[in-house]
Amino acid sequence: MNTFSRHKDTFWSVIWIAGLGALAVWDIAFLNRPALELLQTAFLNTMVGSLLVVVLSLVFGWVTGVALYFLDERHRLLYLSFTFLLNVIRSIPQIVGILIGYVALTILIREEIIRSDLMQLLWVASTIGLFVFLEIADLVRERIAHYRKLDFVDAMLCCGISEGRIVNREILWKNSRAHLLQKMVTTFGAAIFLQCSIDFIVSVGLSTDVSLSNFPVTLGSLLAKLDSKQDILAIGTAFSNFHQMLSLPFQHLQGISIAFIIIFTLLCMYQISNGIVKRHKL
Amino acid sequence: MRARFVEHSLSIVLVTLVFLVFVLMLREEQSAQRDERTKALAPYLALEFLNLGNPLHKALLKETLYIFHPDTRARNDSLLRAIEAFREEQFTSQAYKAGLHEQGLTIQTLERLGPMYLKFILIYLVVIVVSYRAAQSLAIFRFVKRKQNKGSYLIELYESMKNASLRKRGISFYGATGFIIAKSIAKGFAYAVLFAPAYVIAYSIRTRFDTDSYLFMVVLGVVSNGLLINYANKFFTFLTTESRKGYVDTAIVKGLSASYAWGTPDGVPRLAVIRPGSLFDKSSATVSDEDPAERRRPAHVFRHIYLNARHQYIPALKEHASFLITGLVIIEMALNIQGHLGYELMQRILYRQYDVAAAVILGIFLVVKATEIVVDMWFHRESRKYENRAKRV
Repeated sequence: MNTFSRHKDTFWSVIWIAGLGALAVWDIAFLNRPALELLQTAFLNTMVGSLLVVVLSLVFGWVTGVALYFLDERHRLLYLSFTFLLNVIRSIPQIVGILIGYVALTILIREEIIRSDLMQLLWVASTIGLFVFLEIADLVRERIAHYRKLDFVDAMLCCGISEGRIVNREILWKNSRAHLLQKMVTTFGAAIFLQCSIDFIVSVGLSTDVSLSNFPVTLGSLLAKLDSKQDILAIGTAFSNFHQMLSLPFQHLQGISIAFIIIFTLLCMYQISNGIVKRHKL
Repeated sequence: MRARFVEHSLSIVLVTLVFLVFVLMLREEQSAQRDERTKALAPYLALEFLNLGNPLHKALLKETLYIFHPDTRARNDSLLRAIEAFREEQFTSQAYKAGLHEQGLTIQTLERLGPMYLKFILIYLVVIVVSYRAAQSLAIFRFVKRKQNKGSYLIELYESMKNASLRKRGISFYGATGFIIAKSIAKGFAYAVLFAPAYVIAYSIRTRFDTDSYLFMVVLGVVSNGLLINYANKFFTFLTTESRKGYVDTAIVKGLSASYAWGTPDGVPRLAVIRPGSLFDKSSATVSDEDPAERRRPAHVFRHIYLNARHQYIPALKEHASFLITGLVIIEMALNIQGHLGYELMQRILYRQYDVAAAVILGIFLVVKATEIVVDMWFHRESRKYENRAKRV
């Protein structure tokens, strides 16, 4: 038990996989085949989309953080302009920015510029990435600033090692991996939340608009379907009706499964992130 | 501070300029599209003696067109169809039904949006104040529990079962075990609520409560979407980081209390979770003359940990505000709460009135910017105190 407490991140990773595995077994046993296939596709699309967000955010964040460091030293005016633009992005609430991205996507689909599901997922991931990468960029800058004060950077410079190598390899790759990993886990959680929310909103509110173009099904859009919403509504009636409570995991499985996956994943990501902080004393 | 203020002002100017350019471009494009569409129809629609709702008049128009333009029958038919489609749209278009047919950003539209915007700001202010305090309370509670060396309930359950041999397990053991399990279930339920997206909570209790009320929106805004738990976690991190610093050890050596037991004279009063700042103030100890225990309360090191953590947390409020607005917009859009700014934004996007949607987005941006300016001013003031550039703390 103490080992689990010390390695909370590993423990919660196992819990996450086991929880989703148990749900998969339950769904295979009790959920009807079409709904199960839809749920599998939605789950995969959501996970792929969120992983894309993490990868893109890491790339954007790393490049931005390092670029700002060099610009600060060499091109002050460019540095100020770039920081100013980043602060403007920071002031736009994420959901609003992502919604603008979705409107653009709808137009691109209507104009038949974007056609494949993968391109749509990539577009959505890029849009979400654009509004969540700043945290990684801030972390990169923070880590560089922290190590820049230490003697080993100057010592390496004296040894003739290039500044780019010191920053990218020695500071970020060798000494900040745990920090970056922790930020990637929180970004993954944020990406799942934002993707599900925007897909839910778009499916509920913009249904007539998006019927023109079929977005790839995700957990958010599947939750917005009438039968899933009815499953969630059934939870309310189950509070007063015990029989209804018993029927929830059998008769209302689609909506309950989606809600469970979203909430359970967010909880596990939070715990894994805290576990990394605890283990590496970040 | 001046540099920050200039930056905020510049970004407001830049975004407003982008908005104005966008609206002007959109108006020009819409006007061109409208002109293109009505250019052919306008002369016929403007004929006062012609009632196109009357089948006789329509038939007369058709025959007249055929007489005057006998060689372009197809063009005549297209024109008649276009007139018919234009008239039909006025009766069947969703936008007309929803009262959103007026194009562009008009005074009427702004008058309609104004009260919604004020409502949005009011709800936002209430939620940000409540969530700021609640996040601190939750973080302090967790921090004190950590200092008391209390782990998770599952570990507690495991330890209690390991320590009690099978023969010693009486009613009290099973009672205690049951209590730990109940606490564990309650914690799990609380976590489920705190991490659940707002729409999941709202739909699951829609049959029980009025989910369109302001109170519900405020409660949902505070507890759902992971807002409270994430910002409590952030404050907890600041508390933990501060508690590891050298000044804490110095303060303890100098005689400040470092006990985290609930309610003991040298420990932490439970009320500190709700009112963390005031309870550790020396003046409050002298005020409570009725309670001898309170009067004897020594200064506690947690006061300094808390104040320093709070100082670091202030800039995080900007991020908190942005995420909070994300949550509020999600609630209003996902639950289709009519008469709210988020719903209106959704409707305008749905009917492709992008200029009005852009105005709403500009309004939301200004709320965030205003918060950022206030937070920067607050942080600047607090920093001056900490740097002894103004009155001491």
